[in-house]
Amino acid sequence: MLDAHIVKRRRSFTVDVRIRAAAGERLAIFGPSGAGKSSILSCIAGLERPDAGEIRVGETRYFPPPLPLERRFLAYLTQDDLLFPHLSVAENVRFSLSAEAERKNRDWVAELRQSLGLEALWHAPAGRLSGGQARRAALARMLARRPPLVLLDEPFAGLDRQVVRELIRLLDRWQEKLRFTLLLVGHEAEVVERLCPRVLALEQGRVVQEGAFADLRAKPATKVLAQLLAPL
Amino acid sequence: MLFVAALLYPLSGLFAPVGSWQWDGDIPGSTLASVATSLELTAIALLVIAAIGTPIAWHLARKSGRRSILWEAAILISVLLPPLALGILLSLAFGPTTWIGSLLLRMGLASSNSPLAFTVTQVYVGMGYYILAARAAFTAVPAELETMAALLGRSPAQVFWRVTFPLSRLGLAAALSIAWVRTLGEFGAIVVTAYYPAGMPVQLWINLQDRGLPAVMPLLVVFLVSALPLPWLAYILARRRHPHHA
Repeated sequence: MLDAHIVKRRRSFTVDVRIRAAAGERLAIFGPSGAGKSSILSCIAGLERPDAGEIRVGETRYFPPPLPLERRFLAYLTQDDLLFPHLSVAENVRFSLSAEAERKNRDWVAELRQSLGLEALWHAPAGRLSGGQARRAALARMLARRPPLVLLDEPFAGLDRQVVRELIRLLDRWQEKLRFTLLLVGHEAEVVERLCPRVLALEQGRVVQEGAFADLRAKPATKVLAQLLAPL
Repeated sequence: MLFVAALLYPLSGLFAPVGSWQWDGDIPGSTLASVATSLELTAIALLVIAAIGTPIAWHLARKSGRRSILWEAAILISVLLPPLALGILLSLAFGPTTWIGSLLLRMGLASSNSPLAFTVTQVYVGMGYYILAARAAFTAVPAELETMAALLGRSPAQVFWRVTFPLSRLGLAAALSIAWVRTLGEFGAIVVTAYYPAGMPVQLWINLQDRGLPAVMPLLVVFLVSALPLPWLAYILARRRHPHHA
C-alpha cells in the first residue's frame, strides 16, 4: 500500500529511510526527538519535498514529481489541531466531503459525532473549543472521508491520560473498521506499543532497528533506544 | 478625548460662514457630472485593483525570497511617489505621443483627458495601498490552515474561498476601504492626466476658482459622504458575515 524511499537532507544529517506498509497495517516510526521522524510524514503528506527517493501510495505515485496536496488521499493529524476557526465543528468535520459524499456518509458522520462526544459542540465555533475537544473534532474531520492512509504525528501530545486512552480506543476501533493503513510517529513508548505492532526505530535519520515492539523493548539495538524505552 | 476632538476639529469647517452655498461653478450641471464621474470610474478602478491586487497580495503574503523583495520594492515605490510626480510620469509614459498612447489612439481610446486616463491613474494611485493592506490581511491567516484544507482534498480555489477569504475578509474590507478613499480623493495625479472628465476633487478645484468657497461647500459634503460611508458599510458587512470569528 505504502512504498516509500525518502531521502531528505537536514542540517546535521540526512534522513534516508525505506518504508513499506501493507493495506490495513499499523506501523510506528519511533525514536528520539530530532531523529527526522516528522520529516518522513511531512514528505508523504507533501508538506516537505524529499531531495531524492520515491513515494507510492497504492497505485498513485506521490513523488517524484510531487503530487499536489489536494490529490493525496490521506489524513494527517499533528499535535496542532488546525481546525478552521470561522467554521462550526460540523462544518469542519464535513469540510472534506462533497455534497454527494456528505449524503453517502451521513450515518458515518453521525457515528463519528456520537462516539467522539461532539453532539453538544456540533454547532459551536471551532475557534472556541478546548484542547481535548479540538483534538476530538480534528480526529472526526480526519476520518470523515474514510482515507486509506492515516498519518499521525505525535497526535496525543499535551492531552491528559484519560483523553489519550479514550482516543486510542476509538482509533483502534475505527482502524479495524475502516482498515486504513496507519503510520504513527511518536516517542512515547506506551502510545506506540498500544497502537502499532510493528515499529521502525529511527536515529539521526536512519533505521536502527525494525520489528515487533516487544522485541524492541526486550533487546534495543542502541543506547539511545534503550534509554527511550527505560521506565521512568 | 482631547485627541479625538482635535482629530475631528477640521470637520467644524463645514459650519464656517462662507455665505450661501451654491451647487455649481460657472458651468451648470458640471458638479453633478463630476459626482457621477468619480463614483463610476472609481468603482471600475476598484474592481481592477481588487482583481489584480488580491492574487499579488496573497502571493506576497505566502512567498518569500529575492523575487518577493523586488515586488515589495516596486509596490513601495508606487505608494511613495508624490501624486503630482506620478501624474506627470504617467503622462510622459502613456501620453498621446508615446507608442502606447498612439496605439490606443488608433484603437479610438485617448490616453489623456479621458475616462480611460482617469481610471488608469486611479488604478496606479490605489494599487500599492490595496496590496500592502491586503497582504497584511492574508499574512494574518495561518498558512497551515490552507495546507490542511488542501490535504482535505480542496483545490486551491476552494481553499481560497472557504478558508483564506473568510478569515481575511475584515482585513480585505479595510484594504478596499483604503483604496476607495485614496483613489476617490486623488487630485495631484488626476489633475495632470485627466483634467476632463472632471471628478469630484478636480471639480472642487474648478468651483473654487470660479465662484469661491460657496460653490465648494455642497460638493465637499457630497465628497465626504461618498468617501466615508462605503468603507464603513464594507467593514460592517464583513463583520456581520463572520459570526464565528469575533
